[in-house]
Amino acid sequence: MIELRDHLFATPIPAIALTLAAYLISLKLFTRMGRPSWCPPVLVAALMIAALLGLMGVDYNDYRRGAGWLMLLLGPATVALAVPLYQQKHHIIALWRPILISLPPAALLAALYSVGLAWALGASPQVIASLAPKSVTAPIAIGIIEQIGGSIPLMMGGLLITGVMATTFVGLFARWMNITDQRILGFALGVNGHAIGTVRAFELGPTAGAFASLGMSLTGIFSALFLPLAWKVMWG
Amino acid sequence: MPLLRGFLWLLGFLMLGDVAVTLFALPISAGVAGMLLFTAWLLLRRGVGEDIATASQSLIGLLAMLIMPGVVGVFFIADEFAGHWLAVAVALVIGTLLSVLTTLALMLRFMPRTPASDATGEPAAHD
Repeated sequence: MIELRDHLFATPIPAIALTLAAYLISLKLFTRMGRPSWCPPVLVAALMIAALLGLMGVDYNDYRRGAGWLMLLLGPATVALAVPLYQQKHHIIALWRPILISLPPAALLAALYSVGLAWALGASPQVIASLAPKSVTAPIAIGIIEQIGGSIPLMMGGLLITGVMATTFVGLFARWMNITDQRILGFALGVNGHAIGTVRAFELGPTAGAFASLGMSLTGIFSALFLPLAWKVMWG
Repeated sequence: MPLLRGFLWLLGFLMLGDVAVTLFALPISAGVAGMLLFTAWLLLRRGVGEDIATASQSLIGLLAMLIMPGVVGVFFIADEFAGHWLAVAVALVIGTLLSVLTTLALMLRFMPRTPASDATGEPAAHD
């Protein structure tokens, strides 16, 4: 049994098959549960895979080596993000002033609040670097981690929690502050909650969705340019 | 084969991004550089062809699955970062609370007001 398992996991095929299966099952569960925004399907799928790896006694690093082939596609997928950005260009042209004034401080502070809090509570430089891109969409955030150091799994965990939290807080503040402008809600969801917030924004309506993908793309680009530079200045 | 043709475009711009990052020693990833170059190219060409639209939609739809191997790692790092969890939790929850408030405040302050109909109903996007 064990020999057979080791023979199979010597190729990337079982890791890839496991990932596809877990993702498809969790998508189905997600739809059946009524698409709860507090429980993104990625999280359920990852939990299933982790449990299965534990049951089968497969080392995470063996799994990652195989499933890493899937992550190869993240490169072209990042390039593909240019398309939705291009499709939002009429919003950028119409509203370039408020966007130019609001986006850099919003994206900057999204990173700075967490970095500052983690630093004040005595987190190690590696933990701080892992938290810095917490509002950036995953493919771009992985690129940022490669530049500034940090742990990809910890960053991913932070990303998921941030997405869920941002979605919750935008909903709460929208009610308390009586905000109904879809452009503002969508933008806030995209800037702070990356892909998870953007999915929620599309549920609010197409305008909110468009502004969320715009906010997400611009935050990603701004952070990808800014964070590595800031790290170079601060930690050499 | 619009999917393959579009995919080839994406790979081409990824390599172009890699070349730019390497030549100019830029502190960004090849993917982000490729995305910026690709955005510039789409603006110059003034349109997204069928090939590129097909390939990019397929890949973006798969994004959540492509990051899974990294997400699975979350469940295997408990020991490595023991002692940091309070800092991580506070940074994420309070940090996100503050940043959501900041974005909403900035947008409320600088977004031009439009009649409610403009802000909710919009002409169909060209995508």
